[in-house]
Amino acid sequence: MRSVKDGMASWIAALAMLLALAGEAAAHASLTAAEPRDGAVVAVAPGAFRLDFSEPVSPLVLRIVRPDGAAVDLGDFAVRDRSVEIEAPVELGDGTHVLAWRVVSSDGHPVGGSVVFSIGAPSAAPPPIADPVDRKVRTAVWLAKIGLYLGLFLGAGGAFALAWFVPVSRAGSRVVLALVGIGIAAAVVSPGLQGLDALGAPVGRFADPAVWRAGLATSFGLTVKLVLAALVAAALAALSRNAALSRAFATVGLAAGAYALTVSGHASAADPQWLTRPAVALHAAASAVWVGALVPLGLALRAGAPDAASGLMRFSTFIPVAVAGLIAAGIVLAVIQVETPAALVGTAYGCLLLAKLGCLAVLFAIAAVNRGRLTRPALAGDARALARSIGAETVVVLVILAIAAGWRFTPPPRALAIAAAQPASVHIHTLEAMADLSVTPGRTGPVSVSAMIMTGDFGPLDAKEVAFVFANPDAGIEPFRREAAKPGDGTWRADDVVLPLAGHWTVRLDILVTDFDIVRLTTEIEIRP
Amino acid sequence: MFKHIITASGLLALGTASALAHVSLEGEEAAIGSTYKAVFRVPHGCEGEPTNVVRVRIPEGLIAVKPMPKPGWALEKVRGAYAATYEYHGSQVSEGVTEIVWSGGSLADDEYDEFVLRGYITPALKAGETLYFPVVQECPGGLAERWIEVPAEGQSADDLEMPAPGVAIIEATGGH
Repeated sequence: MRSVKDGMASWIAALAMLLALAGEAAAHASLTAAEPRDGAVVAVAPGAFRLDFSEPVSPLVLRIVRPDGAAVDLGDFAVRDRSVEIEAPVELGDGTHVLAWRVVSSDGHPVGGSVVFSIGAPSAAPPPIADPVDRKVRTAVWLAKIGLYLGLFLGAGGAFALAWFVPVSRAGSRVVLALVGIGIAAAVVSPGLQGLDALGAPVGRFADPAVWRAGLATSFGLTVKLVLAALVAAALAALSRNAALSRAFATVGLAAGAYALTVSGHASAADPQWLTRPAVALHAAASAVWVGALVPLGLALRAGAPDAASGLMRFSTFIPVAVAGLIAAGIVLAVIQVETPAALVGTAYGCLLLAKLGCLAVLFAIAAVNRGRLTRPALAGDARALARSIGAETVVVLVILAIAAGWRFTPPPRALAIAAAQPASVHIHTLEAMADLSVTPGRTGPVSVSAMIMTGDFGPLDAKEVAFVFANPDAGIEPFRREAAKPGDGTWRADDVVLPLAGHWTVRLDILVTDFDIVRLTTEIEIRP
Repeated sequence: MFKHIITASGLLALGTASALAHVSLEGEEAAIGSTYKAVFRVPHGCEGEPTNVVRVRIPEGLIAVKPMPKPGWALEKVRGAYAATYEYHGSQVSEGVTEIVWSGGSLADDEYDEFVLRGYITPALKAGETLYFPVVQECPGGLAERWIEVPAEGQSADDLEMPAPGVAIIEATGGH
């Protein structure tokens, strides 16, 4: 009897306790308003913050993340009914701040969120910081590039001159063969050097197969193969005693070399490619015909070879056409790459172009003297002055090739502008849905976020609502939500997003598929400084 | 005594997810082969606005659904095809009510109300599963509270922002 009574009493007590606890149980709290408002730009630093919730809460974490990423915990706050009033730190500077909060409501579940606001204006992205430079690797890459150019322009170009301008004496064929050899050696080592540069690896890892794989995997890999083909053809042209065969090999070598330069490099990557790639090929082929002729012609003239005069004649007839093409293509590429005159002096790329143009002016002056003053005496039999002058011309050409090889390290103004505006993109694919998400530009500051959404099996997905939820746990930034709109191009977009810090952000897409079905996709995206 | 408190707390812990101010279901269990009475507890409107539409999507496996009319609210029964065909009192059933809409009423943000329907728990549902009823509360001005999230594998309803109310399916309670 007693035991039953005891049992009942304890059950009633337990039940009462359950009811008491359950009475307190309520919903997850949600933020209903904030001061400053989420996404606001305010003129002056606020003296206090206020967060209003759907029900009474107890703050667990209140912190402000400054524009430089420093987080400050806010300990000075008061809870009034459903509001939390927080004293602001005194020294808030200009830029985008994040007020991150984490509270627990009566149901015991902590919930968090962030209020993003800017003082004065949203934080702008700091200027891009250049990659750290490994001088040894860069020098090696530069020297290899010069070697490649020597092989292509003086070697393959020289073989072309041997075959077409001085086919009888074949003066300077050994020098041409040596230059082709330098080109081949440079082509053979350059994938390794390219790999070192691509991976940011030190010179010591030159023998590492992974480095070579990385080098060959870039578009430069194809260039190297084509260059090797061009140089082998050039070598055969220089060695061949059969005039027709020699001309065929020389022409193939020149064409392959010109094509090789169009498959990688800054200029070939520029739009419109239907214009830039042929321009690169024309510029390269015309340059090679011109500068390649210097060594065989100069040596033929100095040695007084029997075909020196006829070779000089052929060269003089042909060269205005080549130079016209060279200049036209060069102007097209310069305009596309430099974009604005100011960039000529304002960027490393522009400065190299100016230096190259300066050398080119010297080269044209020498060429004009050769053509106007020295060619006639040379044809009349006194070729020493012209041979000397051609020697000087060759030296200037070497300087120009060295400068052109330096472009390897200077992104053109066009590419710098594109790099800054480049979006950060990520593809998310689950069984239920997939999305191509991009943040433009993919760097800190005000950004536009857009997503192309499809079903998991690539079908159309006509969502009712889409929202982006950003968080940066590493920086202490709790999630904040931005509703997306449909601009009408098949994407969902939110323009009122400010991402104040660089680094890993988590992004969640909330896709309301029907009134009753929601799909949430979560991913990480890297935001550049 | 202490043991009973623990038992009660255990029940509380289990019940918490549905005892919140989310839309929740009154009963905690529904037996296979029985007619289940679902009582939806709607504890508020949306962000200060009154709720004037409550929509419930009928989950697959619950058939012969009948809502209970509610004074002050218009009742709409959206019919559609089921994903499967079910046997019900000797006949084959392949379509029926798939959504119920109570509309035109007013449930202020500081009020509480209940919405009731019943349906037959078919043997297609397995014991140990939870049967989820996605619910949408609509308010004037396009506002809506959507209790439509179903936990994925390894998730609990507590992990969700907008958990759909659910009821645990249990074995048939004999004698049917």
